[in-house]
Amino acid sequence: MLHHVSQLYLPGAVPLWGALVFAILAVWGYSLVLRGDESARVFARRAYTFFALAVTLASLVLVIELVRRDFRVEYVFQYSGLDLPIHYQFAAFWAGQKGSFLIWLLWGSLLGLGVMRTAGKAEAPVMGIYTLTVMALLFILVRENPFVMLGNTPLDGEGLNPLLQDDWMVIHPPIMFIGYALTAIPFSFAMAALWRRDFKDWAARAFPWTLGAFLVLGAAILMGGYWAYKTLGWGGYWGWDPVENASLIPWILSVVLLHGLHLERTKGRYRRANFIVATLMYLAVLYGTFLTRSGVLADFSVHSFVDLGISGWLIALMATFAAIPAVLFVTRWKQIPVVRNEDPLLSKGAFMVLSTIALGVSALVITAGTSAPLLTKYMENPGQVGPDFYNRVNLPIALLVALLLSLVPFLTWRGTPLAKVARKLVVPSLISLAVTAATVAMVVRDPFHAIFIFLAILALVTNLQKTFQRASAQGLGAAGGWLSHVGVGVILLGFLASSAYDQSTKVTLTQGEPTAVGDMEMTFTRFIPRQGREKERMEVKVVRANGEEFFTYPKLFLNERTRQVMANPDIRSSPFRDLYVSPIEFDPGVQPGAPKTVQLAAGETLEIGERTIRFAGFNLLSQARGGAMAALQRGEQISVGAMLEVVQDGQVGTAQPTYAFAQSGLVNSQPTALPGGGTAVVSGINANDGKVELQIFGLGGVEVEPARLSIDVTKKPLIQLVWFGLYVILAGGLLSMWRRLRQAREYDDVAERVAVAKQGR
Amino acid sequence: MTKMLNKKTTTYALGVLLLAAFAGFSLYAFQDTLTPYVSYEQAKEKQQVVQVAGVLQDNASTYDSSTGLLYFTLEDEATGETLPIRYEGLKPANFEEAISIVAIGRYDADTGELAANKLLVKCPSKYQGAEVKEYS
Repeated sequence: MLHHVSQLYLPGAVPLWGALVFAILAVWGYSLVLRGDESARVFARRAYTFFALAVTLASLVLVIELVRRDFRVEYVFQYSGLDLPIHYQFAAFWAGQKGSFLIWLLWGSLLGLGVMRTAGKAEAPVMGIYTLTVMALLFILVRENPFVMLGNTPLDGEGLNPLLQDDWMVIHPPIMFIGYALTAIPFSFAMAALWRRDFKDWAARAFPWTLGAFLVLGAAILMGGYWAYKTLGWGGYWGWDPVENASLIPWILSVVLLHGLHLERTKGRYRRANFIVATLMYLAVLYGTFLTRSGVLADFSVHSFVDLGISGWLIALMATFAAIPAVLFVTRWKQIPVVRNEDPLLSKGAFMVLSTIALGVSALVITAGTSAPLLTKYMENPGQVGPDFYNRVNLPIALLVALLLSLVPFLTWRGTPLAKVARKLVVPSLISLAVTAATVAMVVRDPFHAIFIFLAILALVTNLQKTFQRASAQGLGAAGGWLSHVGVGVILLGFLASSAYDQSTKVTLTQGEPTAVGDMEMTFTRFIPRQGREKERMEVKVVRANGEEFFTYPKLFLNERTRQVMANPDIRSSPFRDLYVSPIEFDPGVQPGAPKTVQLAAGETLEIGERTIRFAGFNLLSQARGGAMAALQRGEQISVGAMLEVVQDGQVGTAQPTYAFAQSGLVNSQPTALPGGGTAVVSGINANDGKVELQIFGLGGVEVEPARLSIDVTKKPLIQLVWFGLYVILAGGLLSMWRRLRQAREYDDVAERVAVAKQGR
Repeated sequence: MTKMLNKKTTTYALGVLLLAAFAGFSLYAFQDTLTPYVSYEQAKEKQQVVQVAGVLQDNASTYDSSTGLLYFTLEDEATGETLPIRYEGLKPANFEEAISIVAIGRYDADTGELAANKLLVKCPSKYQGAEVKEYS
């Protein structure tokens, strides 16, 4: 909804409105340039720069408001609090919907400054379209303004969701949004190329940006996986949740686009497809945003996004950014130059096309699975599909991709005879066969798994070989793509091992009693109370079958603000497996010296030790005008005594422990000595049935019970391969990026010299 | 020339066939793994994995540490119906504060409980935009 000026925090809202004005001016300026008015270029650039500055200013204002803890601002009130450490004050920026759109807009507007400089001749249409894409986010923010103020000034904010109070929260979301922002850039280049009917160099210019999107989204996905695995205790790194899928689909499409652009640059092929893929990658981001932010999946996702009332907007956005390419495709389709496909099947080109189709199909089925609640919306019982769906449909695709990857290092653009490929495959196949046979000898029983392992290792070996060949012949930069393929082989092995071969046991440990868990012996040794920022931990001693001893420290602690019990796993990593210890429940038991707790109504007695304690009734100690309730409502403190009679050996003594309370919830209760030893504390009173709750210390009467800890112990073999594989994939991408940037600089130098020469003429 | 063309046509036809087969396979997997959202009555009738939503009745749950099972009852706020749930696993961190709990599992007619293998917990709206832990 739109807000009245008086409801807005103007130092933040004014820059946002200003940004909108500058964005409109930039689009207008670039449209003048498109119509041939070259003098408007400087104006358009300035307008865009001011737009980026205004967005930066608005973001800075939000940061300052969060750090100042200015709870007048609703967003600050909702996500910040007095108890929040400084790094979470920053993280609160993207804890809510509005802030996450703002950070997306911020990255988008800043990246545009780079696009402006690298778009070359296509600057006007590229920047025109690109500004529209960022402006779309700005529209949402002007509507759902993060600078809305509350009518009052609360003393404290509601604080950050304890689940989000994690170091990963500080870094993972903003990086993800850089990735999202980057996907709009290849899209803008594609639209501009279609608009100008200039199909020559867009692929070269869009490539580094696509590579950037691939790298950043990949890094963000890696961090999300770490977060889920290491601290959230989800047990795994990937849950096929809609929010996770929303980032995976554009990432897969970025891989498709990278290969497509490579084909286009080197062979002039795949042009039409590239335009479609670039469009789909951007639309996938918008669609994912729609699915996860509109509330349509509210009952289906663990990431509980609530409808902000922006579904209509998001649908309109998707329609707009689908209509623009649709019109351009229809009007330009015939003019896109097509190079006829004459590649034999066993050629680099054909394999690249095949693997992009395989990956495209994977993106499609993941999209379909994520959309299940929408697809089945009008059926009798709408539903969703579980992780099983994604695993099943992606398995054949993974096998096919592994097969293609295994062979592609031996193929040339022109095609390679089968006999030659076969000859080169002999050694790698033998290596892979040997390793596969070893795994079958050890654990693997499923024949599909054996095939999977064989192909993954084959891909790993052949691409590793190729990486070394390339790196020694043409330098490391030229080997990036091949290195990424090695990573794919590694990660596939990690996926299989960690998902199909993990062993999980739930066990309850009694403090001090060694318990056998699989081939290990585990003992819950002690509970370690909170120390400063270090949360409450459980210490568990583990003795492995080989005699190795170590301690793990799963955490189970209470968030005081929300009274939520939080659990963090502890992971013991060794080269071949992780031992994942996840706390389930902690029962503190009854420790020696613990008080006897009892509830007594007036007249009731408690036999404890050799004494009898009788509760005679309450004694209102406060001089409460108009009665206790009225005094409470005035905010006064009420003090009540519990009259106790203690009988021991026929002797009667009295004691009166007191209990003071106020409506604010404040309670003050002092231990009172009992005649003959021991102390009593009133731990609560129940006004309805006139009962008092007493804690009696030092008189025994309680049975000591040991503490118990329930844990989930999982052995996850080779899970390190998942992380390592993704690192290798991204390292390959970084190498390629490094090389492209160097090339681009040379390219620009040449272009500049040509331009200067032209001007000189 | 025609021979080459034929070969090409065969390759394409094979590709289309493969894609069609995969489409069929995916559709089957989709239907097979679809867990429909049902009412408590339907959950008791259906012999398949379903999901039900509701609020935690009496804000109460019991955890049996010897079996690792969590027991609680979901209540449909609209109809007042209830359904006992048996869940194997951790009690979600924000379980008691949840405004809605979704349980995914299969009805066990022997015990009259829904044997859930996954819980989705919705937090109060002040955590909108926040991630909620998944327990599967």
